[in-house]
Amino acid sequence: MTSYFTPQFLVLFLPGSALCYQLVPRRARWAVLLAASYAFFWALSGWLAVFVTVSALVIWLTGLALGTEAARRGRELAELGADRRAVRRLWQRRMRLTLAVGVLANLGILVALKYAGFLAGLVRPLGAVMPELPRIGLPIGISFYTMQAVSYLVDVYRGTVAADANPLRLALYLTFFPQIMEGPICRYAQTAQALWSGAPVTAKQVFSGSARVLWGLAKRMVVADRLNSLVSPVFADPGSYDGGVIVLAAVLYTLQLYCDFSGTMDCAVGMGRLFGIALPENFSQPFFSRTASEFWRRWHVTLGEWFKDYVFYPVSLSGPVKRLTGAARRALGGRMGPAAASGVALFCVWLANGLWHGAGTQYLLFGMYYFVLIWAGALVEPASQALCARLGVSRSGALWHGFQHVRTLLVVVAGELIFRSASAEQGLELLGRATLDFRADSLLDGTVLAVGMDVADFVVVGVFVVLLLVAGVLRERGVHPLEGAWRRGPVVRWAVCFALLMCVVVFGAYGVGYTPVDPMYASF
Amino acid sequence: MDAILDILEELKPGVEYRGRTDLVDSRELDSLTIIALVAELEDVFDIAVPAAEIVPENLNSPEAIWALVCRLREQGL
Repeated sequence: MTSYFTPQFLVLFLPGSALCYQLVPRRARWAVLLAASYAFFWALSGWLAVFVTVSALVIWLTGLALGTEAARRGRELAELGADRRAVRRLWQRRMRLTLAVGVLANLGILVALKYAGFLAGLVRPLGAVMPELPRIGLPIGISFYTMQAVSYLVDVYRGTVAADANPLRLALYLTFFPQIMEGPICRYAQTAQALWSGAPVTAKQVFSGSARVLWGLAKRMVVADRLNSLVSPVFADPGSYDGGVIVLAAVLYTLQLYCDFSGTMDCAVGMGRLFGIALPENFSQPFFSRTASEFWRRWHVTLGEWFKDYVFYPVSLSGPVKRLTGAARRALGGRMGPAAASGVALFCVWLANGLWHGAGTQYLLFGMYYFVLIWAGALVEPASQALCARLGVSRSGALWHGFQHVRTLLVVVAGELIFRSASAEQGLELLGRATLDFRADSLLDGTVLAVGMDVADFVVVGVFVVLLLVAGVLRERGVHPLEGAWRRGPVVRWAVCFALLMCVVVFGAYGVGYTPVDPMYASF
Repeated sequence: MDAILDILEELKPGVEYRGRTDLVDSRELDSLTIIALVAELEDVFDIAVPAAEIVPENLNSPEAIWALVCRLREQGL
């Protein structure tokens, strides 16, 4: 068992866990989930499960310390004649120190395991003598559960959740197996108590959960795995292809990444429902976006929300940045000043976003690419509005919206080309060749069909893309097909599940000639 | 309360703010506008808005923003 997409997981582990969950008394269901989660973690990462256990212990102890300090602050504030401002300041300092210890311990584990080699590689060319670092490996989902751990601590510090006295509940919150591999990144308030309560699972949840898992499987196996036959060879040896093929590979990689990641999220949300848990959605039709920042509100939603709440606002509202914002407002005005000063917080967000995706220069470039685009977009927005008004271009018309959609798609594909490259240097080189060495004839003379996908593969992908578009339009309009299928009765429900299963079995890209794509976000 | 409406109108003109209860949820106030709004509120009302208070419930309507301002002034943060 190496991922959610193995027969052992789909046929044995998942149904077995769901069955056990149903059979045991409600008060013991949390134990089934915790045991299954650790078994899954152990199957994928072995002894590295010790690291997630350490993270759980650290947030448990730090949370308790923060809770105790908050209670003492409350008592001192309630005393008659207390200098409330002084009391607040004193306890703010103490609680910040406690929070910093807990956060740094968690981030320290992440940095040591994920970034030590990368950082050593950056320092060595400067002449620093670095010892050879031991290869420990990465626990599955470490970037995801570390973010959950940090969010819990910050939420306790802020007082938005109470410190949890139960270490096992915190361990389950961090390790719940449907989300451990690739998210979504949940907040304590969203899932921790629900996971512990062992709420009964309804027939509707079993249907919608199963159908959602099958839909996710179809996205992955029909599209993402099939596209791997073309994307992998081109990016493994891009020097053998011209700009036209590289552009096609970048477009197909963007589609592949979407189907892989959003398909895995469909599976995660569906599996959550099988245990009565509502996991947050991580995708909201990202390709319907009209700007790069809107794209990031719709793609990997929980990551964007995390960075907004725990990096963007805290940095924007920190003392030095506030002073900078004040100076910028006086110089540039109430709207442009904060937009200019927000560059500091946006830089932090996109540096962290790039590095979070991996220890590689291509990810740094990817983060800086979006930082520049989004910050520049905010700065030129007033000028853009004025120019459109002057030229008589309606910004609410279909023409302008169409232009925005095409522009955003180009921006996203270029970003994914950087993201898929082996290094920042290669990313820039491929971007250059995709634009300066673009030749359409290589797309039409049979070169593409010699890479790894035949005509039938392209037809299957094309049909599925149309299906995805229809599903996306329906969701944009607030229509939920699974709700409709549920209302139409058991025959339709079974038919939907059977059709999805057949779709995977008949059109899935598996067996001889296909190599399944690695779950891309699992290594983040 | 009118001061809140004036600030919002200055930051993002052309939007009907009275009666709205979805300013954040509908993305009328995006994160950059929220930072500009907070800077104005801190200047005008001499308050400090902590990051923990930047949640939709506090910013979705002019009334909620005013309630936040009143609460922070009372706390003397």
